[in-house]
Amino acid sequence: MFELLEIKQLSAGYGPLRVLHEIDLTVRIGERIGLVGLNGHGKTTLIRAITHMTGWQQGSILLDGVEIGGTRSLGAGRRTPALVKMGIGVAPQGDAIFPGLSVRKHLECGAHTKLAWRERRMRIERVFDIFPPLRALEHSLVGRLSGGERRMVSIGRMLMTEARLYLIDEPSLGLAPKISHRVMEALWSLPVEGAMIIAEQNVSLLTGRADRIVGMHAGRMRGDVGHVDLL
Amino acid sequence: MMDLNLVIYALNLAAIYALMAIGISILWSSVGMINMAHGATFAVSGYAAWLVTGAAKPIIAATFGKTAIASFVMATTLVGSSLIAGALCGLVIFALAFLPIHDKPNYSVRALIITLALNIGTVQGLLWMFGPRNRGLPKIFGFGRWEIFGAKIRYDQAGTIIGAAIIMALTLGWLRYSRRGLEVRAMMQNAEGAAYSGISRQMTALPVLMLTGALAGMAAALLSQTIFVSPTSGAIPLMKGLTIALLGGLGSVPGAMIGALLIGFLEAIVGAIPFLGQRYVMFATFSFIIIVLIIRPRGIGGLLDDTRE
Repeated sequence: MFELLEIKQLSAGYGPLRVLHEIDLTVRIGERIGLVGLNGHGKTTLIRAITHMTGWQQGSILLDGVEIGGTRSLGAGRRTPALVKMGIGVAPQGDAIFPGLSVRKHLECGAHTKLAWRERRMRIERVFDIFPPLRALEHSLVGRLSGGERRMVSIGRMLMTEARLYLIDEPSLGLAPKISHRVMEALWSLPVEGAMIIAEQNVSLLTGRADRIVGMHAGRMRGDVGHVDLL
Repeated sequence: MMDLNLVIYALNLAAIYALMAIGISILWSSVGMINMAHGATFAVSGYAAWLVTGAAKPIIAATFGKTAIASFVMATTLVGSSLIAGALCGLVIFALAFLPIHDKPNYSVRALIITLALNIGTVQGLLWMFGPRNRGLPKIFGFGRWEIFGAKIRYDQAGTIIGAAIIMALTLGWLRYSRRGLEVRAMMQNAEGAAYSGISRQMTALPVLMLTGALAGMAAALLSQTIFVSPTSGAIPLMKGLTIALLGGLGSVPGAMIGALLIGFLEAIVGAIPFLGQRYVMFATFSFIIIVLIIRPRGIGGLLDDTRE
């Protein structure tokens, strides 16, 4: 029996810069993990390393027992589409939206498996149920939406195809508190058959909801603090 | 005084330019490649059409005689052969200038150098195989002209404008309504978002290269109705296509189309002004493009686009 995700001795960076230093992390099925840490301490790089988006990386990453890591110094992003198809759903930092596509077309892009594409209408409805404000914006260009709406579109795109592992990078970044709460509520209410890693600076958005909170400092794991209740 | 003849002439130029510029623009934004071999694709398509129509002429004449069907079959053969040759050139560019280098650093510069080499090599190869002589292709639209509101429209002009409009409408429709087109548009707008949607650059590069190659082939087929095919016949269309793609704001299809229209009209008007004439056409074109890019560095596409990243 394999763990869903097993990271061993993962180092990664960009050019001469080494961001992650020999990281070990294990994620079990059904877990929702909060990844906390300050700006520039490697949360985003960890998520990018799992999807081969860093400049270079080395170390083992096992997804369901299949090696998806390895040593690489070139070809950032080359394996990413294949990894997404293996079952990693990503809502990246900065949303990586397509400014000239409508909300509906944008969500259709996320339906990359045969089944998801066939069911895309139904699945788009489901995303609209999760994020009701998007329903009225169905045909507007994503490049004209506000930050909160873009975040919903980006997460909605990730939700169009079910994944084993969801990686969500700073869902509250740049959002008004009220909207970030709504986005987080939607994330917590998702049925997760695999696991979910949420990188987040605002620990209060994670407390009481995440199964485990993992800290990062200076590119290293700093304590697996388990369930935290701040209040 | 802007008469209708001038408008037709301008549209004729714009149609050819738009076919080239759209291809270069789509390629740059989705594959990340400035395709200097686009001119070679243009010339090769012209020669392919010349070879195929030359071989097919006796067969068509024997089968259909001198009927309307014969000229229709000839037109289909000519356009089809140059479209296919253009798409095959795209395949070759994919194999030589994309696959081996697409995950290396500075991929764009490497691709530029390799496609430039391919362009020079192909032009020399054509010179070596066919010699510098100009080759005339069969006139698929026939000889003659219509007179509408006092303007004389030659058949080849009308055919070029209509043919280009049809092929561009098909391309835009494909981009807009097909699943593969959606993937290409996603790749054009945000490569990282596309990767996170399971869309790989390797998989979109091949259809895009073949499509843009076919567009260059279409431009070659249409222009062969007005001027001759020669080994260097791709140079001017390549240069015009590149600069118009820049004017349109690399990556913007509507920008490239409007840019082609503007340059088409500019060239027609400058050419018709008595004290300027044809020798000032290039000068006027490049001055215009430079001025636009100084004022609006993102080109026309930047004016049309009110979305933000």
